[in-house]
Amino acid sequence: MKLKQGSFLWYLYLDKLYCLLSVRNVKALVEYFHLLDVHRKKTLNDVLFYHFLHHVTDLKRNQITIVFNMLDWNAVGEIGFDQFYMLVCILLAQENHLEEQFIFRHSRPIFELLDLDGELKIGPSNFHMYNFLFKIKKQQLRDLYHDFDITGDCRLNYKEFKLFTIFSMNKYQESQKAVKEEKAVPEKKVSQVNVSQRQSLLGINHFESISNYNC
Amino acid sequence: MEEKPFKVRTLPGPPHPVSPQTHPRSTLGPSLAILSLSPGSGQLPTITASPSPPRQLSLGPGWAQDTPPPPQPALPFLPNSPRPLASLGVCGLQALAKSSGHRGSGKSSPHDTRNLWTTATQSQPKLNVPLPTVREDSELEGSSVGGKTRWSYNQKAGHDSDGGWEESDDGEDKDSFKPEELDEHALMELEMRRGSSLGGPLEEDDSKTDDEKSSSVSSLNISKHTPHRAYWVEQQSRLPLPLTELMENEALEILTKALRSFLRLFLHLPIGDDSLSVALAPPWLL
Repeated sequence: MKLKQGSFLWYLYLDKLYCLLSVRNVKALVEYFHLLDVHRKKTLNDVLFYHFLHHVTDLKRNQITIVFNMLDWNAVGEIGFDQFYMLVCILLAQENHLEEQFIFRHSRPIFELLDLDGELKIGPSNFHMYNFLFKIKKQQLRDLYHDFDITGDCRLNYKEFKLFTIFSMNKYQESQKAVKEEKAVPEKKVSQVNVSQRQSLLGINHFESISNYNC
Repeated sequence: MEEKPFKVRTLPGPPHPVSPQTHPRSTLGPSLAILSLSPGSGQLPTITASPSPPRQLSLGPGWAQDTPPPPQPALPFLPNSPRPLASLGVCGLQALAKSSGHRGSGKSSPHDTRNLWTTATQSQPKLNVPLPTVREDSELEGSSVGGKTRWSYNQKAGHDSDGGWEESDDGEDKDSFKPEELDEHALMELEMRRGSSLGGPLEEDDSKTDDEKSSSVSSLNISKHTPHRAYWVEQQSRLPLPLTELMENEALEILTKALRSFLRLFLHLPIGDDSLSVALAPPWLL
């Protein structure tokens, strides 16, 4: 899923620590929502919602329908600003590659979104359905159920899901550190080369000076 | 009627549920909202902006005439920032200026905005950025988009020691700058100015206006030195948002497509079948 470049949402940003919009962004989003709310019901129906997502993202029709059904948790056929705000946060998190952090920070609401049936447990099918939103890979899912399904019922309750989010967040942070270290290593090498070059030059100059002195 | 302040919680902070639309499977619902409205309100937060004065106001001959100059969206300027609160303030105020004409919002009219602007510029001509204590009034009724954006300009900001644009209490309403008072104040000042410019016998009132100026100047100076830290950081560390035009154009495109879909639904055509819809749609829609 990608946001359309140059669209209004593309200019918004999430706070990297809490994965939420700032107040200024929220205000802009409120204005945007009001513009889309042509019926003045403070909601978007399915047609408006479809065209909005179709315009700003590259999601397909069935994916948009899945997202709509996920967000319409009251089953009223309309999306209010709460759900709209959550959707925008999810889209921005994916756009800015903050999925792990987003899931970690907002594990409860995401769990409730994934829990379609209201059984307080989610199975692999739930994750598969929303894979295009949260980008949980197959291998991660296997590890998830292998490592965190403590109860052994092949489904995760909230505590197990929370453990998974903590674990994936740690993994993400470690990978980030590794990337930073990899970037830092060539810089160190370059700096070391420069230092050695300087030392060698200084050594030559010193030898020349001594030889000149002797002469 | 007094409007309740718009209380906003900035980061970091736990999210609060905004509306009664909650998840049926939990008490609170999966909500990420960071806004806290006034209690009992299940409606959307709205933003109202009243302009603060730009420094450059030329009191040219237009003021002596009957037709005042067109309203300009004045923004709260910051003394050290390179640009004004352009992004969201501009969006809100331009939307206000544009939409008020054709949407007919009753409460926050351009007349109020213009009066705020004229009052502020006339009474404090030498001031640097007036950093107002901006209160966002949560207009919870169904009004137009532009009409919901008004920044209330608090001249007596000395009472607001924090000076934060997000912090507002009900107790401060008495001291705050109400648009009704502004209108009277603005009108009086306009009349005084016109009288003085025409050489009328209004010199006795100049001393009063000078006193008012000095008091307002001092209060604004105080307000300048009490900025809200998060607000400053927000202004200086982030890129500005695009203007209202981008938002409106995009919304217009989306709504046009949605309207076509509605037409197709009405005509029992499948969504996406453009050929028939193009043939049957009115020309203005194409």
